[in-house]
Amino acid sequence: MEKMKLKLLYSDLKSDIDIIEKELETALNSSSHLINDASLHLLQAGGKRIRPVFVLISAKFGQYNIDQIKNIAVPLELIHMASLVHDDVIDDSDLRRGRHTVKAQWNNRVAMYTGDFIFARALEYVTSIENVKVHQILAKTMVEICNGEVIQIEDKFRDNQNLKDYFRRIKRKTALLIESSCELGAVVGGLDDKNIRHLKRFGYFVGMSYQIVDDILDFTATDKELGKPAGSDLLQGNITLPILLLKDHPVIQRFIEKASSGVVSEEDRLEMLKIVRNSDAIKQAITLSNQYLRKALKEVDALPNHQMKRKLRDVALFIGKRKF
Amino acid sequence: MDATYIQQSIEQLKTNIFMHVRHRTLTQYTGSPVLDENQLFYLLLPFLNGEKWDEQNEVSAITVGIVHASLNEHDKISEMNATSKEQQLTVLSGDYYSGRYYEILAHSGNISLIRQLSEGIVNRCEHQIKLYESSQYTIREWYQTISVIQTELIKRFYNVYQFEQYSSIMHTGLLLLQLQKELKKHASGNTSNIFVKMQESVSDQESSIELIIQGEIDSLKNLLNEYLQTSNILKDDLKLYIQQQVAFNFIQ
Repeated sequence: MEKMKLKLLYSDLKSDIDIIEKELETALNSSSHLINDASLHLLQAGGKRIRPVFVLISAKFGQYNIDQIKNIAVPLELIHMASLVHDDVIDDSDLRRGRHTVKAQWNNRVAMYTGDFIFARALEYVTSIENVKVHQILAKTMVEICNGEVIQIEDKFRDNQNLKDYFRRIKRKTALLIESSCELGAVVGGLDDKNIRHLKRFGYFVGMSYQIVDDILDFTATDKELGKPAGSDLLQGNITLPILLLKDHPVIQRFIEKASSGVVSEEDRLEMLKIVRNSDAIKQAITLSNQYLRKALKEVDALPNHQMKRKLRDVALFIGKRKF
Repeated sequence: MDATYIQQSIEQLKTNIFMHVRHRTLTQYTGSPVLDENQLFYLLLPFLNGEKWDEQNEVSAITVGIVHASLNEHDKISEMNATSKEQQLTVLSGDYYSGRYYEILAHSGNISLIRQLSEGIVNRCEHQIKLYESSQYTIREWYQTISVIQTELIKRFYNVYQFEQYSSIMHTGLLLLQLQKELKKHASGNTSNIFVKMQESVSDQESSIELIIQGEIDSLKNLLNEYLQTSNILKDDLKLYIQQQVAFNFIQ
């Protein structure tokens, strides 16, 4: 159902999204059979492709030429894919979107080399753009994403963290790449500075909302919908928004202690999920996500009249209300 | 110019690389970047030999070193279990260094080197992953893989700055040095995965793998000596350094 909604939402961009998909396939083509298999495995796992979609929509506000725009849309999705491959090594995750991860299907080293290959392909691809500003934005984003991941590891199971720590973390983990997708689409589309700024800020706010919703879904969705056990974030020590809002709850505190010692039973996990799902924390987290969405929509309002304004709103709202 | 000056230049390059990728948390858990001094020597060879070498060459050499450091971090990841904090941060060290090399080159607007290095990383990864493929490769193909892993990024740097006249000596020198290292590691009971693959590739032959690799080392030495004797572009001090590098690598 959700996938249908997304397809419908992307329908008038379909031909360009198809071009992006084809380009992704081409970019991942390798002389190594193993890299080809691993890449195909990733492509088949699919994804919402929200980063390239935001590039395309942002560029539509300017001089839109898919042959140019794809040179930034494709690398952004490749960077996202590569970071997922490496993240699965870091998180020791065997499943993603219901499929085995590269590291589970082969091993950690294969995942490292596949990720490095995809990162390099992304940069190789983006060098067809001569505009230095594009490279500076993208490079800064890549470094900041990494810094965010380092902070995430440092913060694992840390009990004295607050909302500020959480927002700082998700900004780098997710919001930055979506922010850059909008900004880079706008830059390559030749928009003026003012509108680049609006789209950039839109991307940031949507990205924050996206990650909050992701963190909520990790508790509220089923194992099947998630393609991995619900509550995985907390099992891995990532204290996300619903847990921060519930951190004084004695059962949650005990669960965090157990998870940090690696002694969580299935019964513990189900009890933790029940508490989170029945608490006010989910409602409060949704409220915070909606606040970011509202800010995103204000940025859309500030953009010049264009048929894509509605598309931006629709995609933002879909992200804020999605169920997978 | 003597060996001390060469060594100091290598040390200076190393320091510059460290400075550009310094990161409090990553250094605390994963240590300093791993760099191979033999590769750094060949990276600096055009400079040491008196080629025109400006700020852009210097920054570019630093970024090539950073890419090596990035890929070396990922070589440290355990095949089956990377759950420790050190291993997790080692994954990120590699990614962080990779982001930093791009950031530095983007800042200086050196798009052509970004392209060359990206292509080089792609080729290197395709060779590194061969270790995990089920396909059978010949020993010659494994020599080629070692050569690509050792030389590809320096070759790309030479291409961008028209230093291709040093490619041949760099290829021969680095392959020779690495094969020597592989033999020594094996002799000390620390056999690498690539050595095992080379061993498997000659399992049907009468000669032992040690003799086969030694034969390759000897022929590379002859090639190197021939180059050093006939080259009229390389300074004598550098020729001597390269000879000592091979001899010292063997003894060490």
